[in-house]
Amino acid sequence: MVTSQADVKRNGVQDYVSLRTTAAIIFAFSVFMAWFFISTDNITFIEWHGLFSGILMKVFTLATLVSIMIHVRIGLWQVLTDYVKSTKIRVVVQWVLNLIAFAYVLVGLFVLWGV
Amino acid sequence: MFFAMLFVIWAWAVSVASPEGFEQVQSIMDGIIGKVIAIGTLSALIYHTLGGIRHVVMDMGHWEELESGNLSAKVIIALWVILTIVLGVVLW
Repeated sequence: MVTSQADVKRNGVQDYVSLRTTAAIIFAFSVFMAWFFISTDNITFIEWHGLFSGILMKVFTLATLVSIMIHVRIGLWQVLTDYVKSTKIRVVVQWVLNLIAFAYVLVGLFVLWGV
Repeated sequence: MFFAMLFVIWAWAVSVASPEGFEQVQSIMDGIIGKVIAIGTLSALIYHTLGGIRHVVMDMGHWEELESGNLSAKVIIALWVILTIVLGVVLW
């Protein structure tokens, strides 16, 4: 069996693991943010800006955005292959949605850059 | 949720960038629109997360018969309703 490492082809097992790993990261981020909003009474710009100014939080946030992109890429592929039977439409929708998810990461990167 | 992210990313980007942006987002969030979008998105996230956790449990071989599968689904829906209400109260 020829396995070519050159292409970015994935297999089911890799999707399975990526989906759950990214879910764990996103879940951790969501819980952290929920705790932040619940534990800080009145949030002013200083706290909000301060939260994202530390390098750790920047990495955590960007990791979450990348995780969302990967999670979306796999998850939406599963959903669309279930429901959108015509390949042409499905592929176009997938292409557009993955592009938007990628844009979310880039926006996040440059926002964090400026904090 | 994917399209709710559009609002979340925009609100976050604007609010972190500048104090004026922060005020703008804060005023939106205090308004009805912001609250509806927030609770809607958070409720969807809670449901998605509970479903995900249930799937991970099923990955480990539990809840795979008709009765247990059905029951765990109902429990998730009940939990989802409760958590959404709890979150709504906590946030406002």
